[in-house]
Amino acid sequence: MILNSKNAIITGCIQGIGKATLEEFAKNGANIWACALEYNEDFEAYCQKLSDENNIWVKPVYFNLLNQDEIKVGLKKIASDKLPIDILVNIAGMTKDAITHMVTMDQMKLIFEINFFSQIYLTQFVTKLMIRQGYGSVVNTSSISAIDGSYGQLSYSSSKAALIGATKTLSKELASKGVRVNAIAPGVISTDMNKIVPDSIIQENIKKMKIKRLGKADEVAKTILFLASDLSNYITGQIIRIDGGIK
Amino acid sequence: MTNLEKYKNAFCEAFQIEDSKLTGLIYQAIPTWDSVGHMALVAALEQEFDIMMETDDIIELSSFEKGMEILSKNYEIVF
Repeated sequence: MILNSKNAIITGCIQGIGKATLEEFAKNGANIWACALEYNEDFEAYCQKLSDENNIWVKPVYFNLLNQDEIKVGLKKIASDKLPIDILVNIAGMTKDAITHMVTMDQMKLIFEINFFSQIYLTQFVTKLMIRQGYGSVVNTSSISAIDGSYGQLSYSSSKAALIGATKTLSKELASKGVRVNAIAPGVISTDMNKIVPDSIIQENIKKMKIKRLGKADEVAKTILFLASDLSNYITGQIIRIDGGIK
Repeated sequence: MTNLEKYKNAFCEAFQIEDSKLTGLIYQAIPTWDSVGHMALVAALEQEFDIMMETDDIIELSSFEKGMEILSKNYEIVF
């Protein structure tokens, strides 16, 4: 098991890439603080099931990324366990698509708050502990739209691009303290977030891919697993595309 | 352990120095108290006192004595 006895924080665990990562980490022996927006009975049961099946613990932690006080309470709960934190995976995020001149500043700020500022807040807290430990791995979730641009995704692609800058800067600041920081850049992945995208656009994207299909959440999760684990001990400051070779 | 002892321990552990060197110690006066070492100190203080420091306080924490002042004033820690 690749993550045997490592302790990980994963945000955005309710669905999509977050849920797939939660499963992948559990199967690989990690103990997990599974973060989600709000209390959910099914999610509680699911975390318990993962714990029982994999002989690990999965503790649900709830906070709204738009509320710094809530984040703080969640982080204090995690810190109160007084356990090493080996891995932080920032997955939670949202998109609100509109072409440039139809995006309000409030919408921009909302997307940046969730996709960027809250992730930095979490990262600041967790990496302090990692510096003290002398080890740790952070994996951020960016997007190919941050690198290539994406029609109608001004706020989303900009916020995810900011995350790339942060990833590279953090990797430089923290490498000497044993902390690695990388990011993934998923392409078009089959998740609930993409269900709102019209089929014609999906088909258009598939035509541009070398691998002619949408990506799966578990394929993204496996890349996160690699970057979080000791298998990637000599990798930091990298942005890994998971996009089926889209052009 | 008293709060003063906890406070000193955090510094000694974060910077790998003896407590006889703590009085008058200021940020960047020793190689281990650099910007990254500063984060290790903050993490140590947060764990010792079960607090989460605000960013403004982290920035303000510029000396051994200033840290005590901040913890007393903003986190109700009595020395």
